[in-house]
Amino acid sequence: MSMLHRRSHSLDERAFDELIEESQDLHSDALGVANDTLADLSDFASDRRRSGVAAPDPSQLEAFDASRTNLISRLGLALGGALGVGALSGIFAKPAAAADGDLDVMILQTAVSLELLAIAAYEAALTLPFIKDGNPVIVKFAQVTMMQHSEHRAAFSAQTKALGGTDQTMTNPKYTPIVEMAKPTLKAPIDVVKLAATLEQVATETYLADLNMFTDVKSRVLMASVMGVECQHLATLRAVGALLGTPELIKIPIGADLAKLPKAAGSVAFPEAFEGVTMASPPEEGAVK
Amino acid sequence: MTTETNPNPTLSRRSLLAGASVIGAGLVAAACGGPKSTKLTSPAEVNDVSQATQPNVGRPVTIVPAKKPSADDVKIAQLAAGLEVLAVGTYKAALDAAGTGALGEVPPAVGEFVTVAMKQHQEHLDAWNSVLTTNGAAAVTEPNAQLKPTVDNLFAGVKDVAGAAMLALMLEQIAAATYNSAQAVLTDKDAIKLAGSIQVIDAQHVSILLYALGQYPVPDVFAKVDLAVAPGGAPAAPPTVPAGTMPPTE
Repeated sequence: MSMLHRRSHSLDERAFDELIEESQDLHSDALGVANDTLADLSDFASDRRRSGVAAPDPSQLEAFDASRTNLISRLGLALGGALGVGALSGIFAKPAAAADGDLDVMILQTAVSLELLAIAAYEAALTLPFIKDGNPVIVKFAQVTMMQHSEHRAAFSAQTKALGGTDQTMTNPKYTPIVEMAKPTLKAPIDVVKLAATLEQVATETYLADLNMFTDVKSRVLMASVMGVECQHLATLRAVGALLGTPELIKIPIGADLAKLPKAAGSVAFPEAFEGVTMASPPEEGAVK
Repeated sequence: MTTETNPNPTLSRRSLLAGASVIGAGLVAAACGGPKSTKLTSPAEVNDVSQATQPNVGRPVTIVPAKKPSADDVKIAQLAAGLEVLAVGTYKAALDAAGTGALGEVPPAVGEFVTVAMKQHQEHLDAWNSVLTTNGAAAVTEPNAQLKPTVDNLFAGVKDVAGAAMLALMLEQIAAATYNSAQAVLTDKDAIKLAGSIQVIDAQHVSILLYALGQYPVPDVFAKVDLAVAPGGAPAAPPTVPAGTMPPTE
């Protein structure tokens, strides 16, 4: 008997199946729209290459460099101190120059690198005994979220190519070693939730910071639509993290147990009125070198 | 071909009325936490919302001339402020109703959600109004006229916490979709960043409301814009509370 069947008392499988089906439909719709616009985007890419538009703005990149120090300390906290700041600092060395000088393309390549890492991280999490044999809602969340990140990667890759860029196929060079170092320290669900939340926050803030750097409006709209989903992953992980002490309340639907949720569950998912960009990755970080 | 193509018909430039205010400096001020903020040191910091929304950062600042925003940016700021007024008013009405016992027993987490969400929407409203007033435009104090009658009608039928949560969900979805859709229209860099930073928070409000209502908190692969409101217009899809979203009782 599968784990889901064993724990069906706290998981509405039909609802989840419907969700997946709906997501697949949305994916098909999104691909349809993307295909409709690829020809125009390819023309645009040719125009951009001829005009040499959109070199990176040094002042914007400097701002992201300044945020790295803050990021190191926050990641150190997120990983429960398992990784020393000194160990992290070496990873945050400035990346080599990107091969493609188009800022829009670099942004999209970095986004792909973050998506690929997220996919790999959730995939790895699903192999951990305390996850795969644990709360079925968390299992399903990891599965669905991994699928959603896969769709995001596909959309960003398609857009990269539409703008004439090279598709990024590697996971993010800054965070990949961080995740690899964190894996042996993952001993309980809260460790995984914190790591996943960190990756989701990096993605959310990266995409937010990227929005006003784009010269291509279609790319900006795509990134905003993905950002709107990554931030929901983050919100859910924050809420789940707050409820791990009472795992019986991590269920869908929550039903009458809504009354049992602690007060903090009502606001833990959105601690600030405005999302920041202190953890944003700079455009060149995951660009194809 | 230009980069000004609009992939989202919900907020077509043609649908926008002509406006005429320079709001760039106001956007900077709003992004920096409204009237309490002071100066910015570089264009990069002007665009750094995180610095702007964390008053304890303590960085010295110098005002940097901003690119003149378009009339569309002004209209979006006014639209956003109207939506925020509506959200604040609706949450306030829900709190008042809860205070009289009209909604029955209110779970602690729900009360916390309403209180914090209302406060955050007030901050969003303040940010957009700072943008407008700094540049000589009038602050928006009235709720979005297109949605207000619908919301009033729906609120009249709210009898319990679940009903209030569903109404809140509708408003949050409209707001998040509108900010997302606005990315296709906005031209001012600070307006783009401000709208994005608010879109994130509203989308997170949506997730928690979905969970409270018994639904999956991240239902879409890509954020939808079908509920987005255009300046002077109604949502592309009529705002209704979908049937069958009541959480099952156990």
